[in-house]
Amino acid sequence: MGVAFVAHCMLNQNSKVAEGAHCAGIYSPIVDVLRAKGWRIEQMPCPELAFTGLNRFWAVKEQLDTAAYRRHCERLAEAVAAAISVRVKQGEDVVLVGVEGSPSMGVTITSSDPLRGGRPEWPEGTAEHVSGEGILVEEIRKALAKRGIGFPRVAGETHAIPGHDEAVQRAGLESTLEG
Amino acid sequence: MKPDARSFRIALVADEFVNPPPGGLDAVAVAARTGWGVMQLPADEYPPEVAGPLLAEVAEQMEEFSRHGYGFVLVGERAGLAEALAQVGVAVPDGISPQTPAQLAEFLDGRPAPRAAQATA
Repeated sequence: MGVAFVAHCMLNQNSKVAEGAHCAGIYSPIVDVLRAKGWRIEQMPCPELAFTGLNRFWAVKEQLDTAAYRRHCERLAEAVAAAISVRVKQGEDVVLVGVEGSPSMGVTITSSDPLRGGRPEWPEGTAEHVSGEGILVEEIRKALAKRGIGFPRVAGETHAIPGHDEAVQRAGLESTLEG
Repeated sequence: MKPDARSFRIALVADEFVNPPPGGLDAVAVAARTGWGVMQLPADEYPPEVAGPLLAEVAEQMEEFSRHGYGFVLVGERAGLAEALAQVGVAVPDGISPQTPAQLAEFLDGRPAPRAAQATA
């Protein structure tokens, strides 16, 4: 047991980009596993909500990766890292649960398309998922490194990934929690 | 905005109701049953220099939701919340410190439909 720092939308699907909410509010497939395993839940801020707003377009990492957005994420990451630091100093195990495919919250898969921009149209099926971390996750990694704290184990919600399988998502989270 | 499964309803929830002690009230479970999202307030055990920035981010996000007519309630209490919300010009929402899950569910179910939900109906 320990503390799971979860992406904001795991507890609040209202923060999702338009057409992105999978349920009314609580994303139970992740929350139920954390509850069943006795993990404490800590909700991280949603980086896109306060910066690009509720009416934002779907975006890939390159579109969000501006100096101003980096500064915004750096501020959020410092707040999250400070909380993680408290937990680590208390000897608690920490994991981070992100959103795979997200330009901000991806933990092993983010989205990338260097050519995307302008009028929001692109060919159906354009590949955008690549290995890597989203922008806020990168900034949390930096903020923890500044504090001399190792980056926690990670798991991700996988709805945006082709072939999403809730059982596989659950197994991945359980594996991360078990360390 | 095109519709999806969101409820446009968000409960600001004190940590003791997100991570309840044994036998305590689990507001996340009630929110899941009643279709509310949750914004967690920082745990009381965090020192002010940790809790303050987290509260400021909660307030900034609530400001964006409020601008779009989402509905809010407060479950429990958190020192510093009123000041953080005042910084962004948002009032503290109606609240409850529930004794039972049924009491919380009744409170949530009894809230009026938020303006954002009416706009997309």
